[in-house]
Amino acid sequence: MLPRLRAERVALFAISYDAVEVLRQFAAERGIDFPLLSDTGSAVIRQLGLLNERVHDDHGAYGVAPNPRHLGVPYPGAFLLDERGVITHKRFHTSYRERETGVGLVAHVLGVTASGSGPAAEWKADGISIRASLDSPTYCWFQRLRLDLTIALADRFHIHGRPAAEGCVPLSLLVAPLEGVEVGEVQWPEPRRLADPETPDECWVHHGTVRASLPLTFTAPAGGGDRIVQVAVTYQPHDHSTSLGPSTVRLELAVKEVALVGRTLPSRT
Amino acid sequence: MPLRPRDFSEIGPKEGERFPDVRLADQCGTIVDVHEARAGRKALVVFYRSAEW
Repeated sequence: MLPRLRAERVALFAISYDAVEVLRQFAAERGIDFPLLSDTGSAVIRQLGLLNERVHDDHGAYGVAPNPRHLGVPYPGAFLLDERGVITHKRFHTSYRERETGVGLVAHVLGVTASGSGPAAEWKADGISIRASLDSPTYCWFQRLRLDLTIALADRFHIHGRPAAEGCVPLSLLVAPLEGVEVGEVQWPEPRRLADPETPDECWVHHGTVRASLPLTFTAPAGGGDRIVQVAVTYQPHDHSTSLGPSTVRLELAVKEVALVGRTLPSRT
Repeated sequence: MPLRPRDFSEIGPKEGERFPDVRLADQCGTIVDVHEARAGRKALVVFYRSAEW
């Protein structure tokens, strides 16, 4: 992520309520060379209106006892500023525990696909290829990863979208249930209406390159181990004026568990 | 039990506004002014819970 930020000339700053000495140690341990800013007492966090005032309510949801160190934390998130210092993107989370991977956040705000670091799987047939990937090869407790899907169609193909015409199966992406993982909603691009005089019903289709994504939040406590994310993509191609039968492609993505910063994973027997 | 959602468009500085002036000490104890330090570049300013827990 950091080389990508440098290439895009994006300065990086991180702010927390930790004391300078804590940050100095953290930066040394992790080889961090961008500014970690110390907002001891959370004055700036409060001034910006980012103080998480509902930490105790959230604790009820997580079954965590209140702790003085929990006071003064900000809502977790980030701002992207343009060259004039104006906020162009803002990403914040409901829960103080959920956080996207650094790569996922940067990729989203920079509008680029961060490829290469996470697991990927691909399937190809005549006229269609399907690729699924995760934005990180690892996960830790309460991390949110992004599953990206790219479908490339030859010009002669469309695939049915939503709303699907009668008897047609719309494009769908399903992730097999995983214990301790919350699967979010798929964000699909807008389909296009197909003008076909022979079809009395409205027909909404995708063509060319179709990109979609969904969030996967790993909420189970640490110790879940390495996981396999199983993805099923169902599509029904439309070739010129003929709808072919629906197909389902299954792909698997392996992701490894890592410990939270400063912690170790529980030993597994 | 799912958490109640919050409208973050209304919490904190908003998109379209200039990011406020922030001057804080960094991990070396040097005072850093965010707008000055980004020196005309784009910037990503991340708020996180703690480096310790």
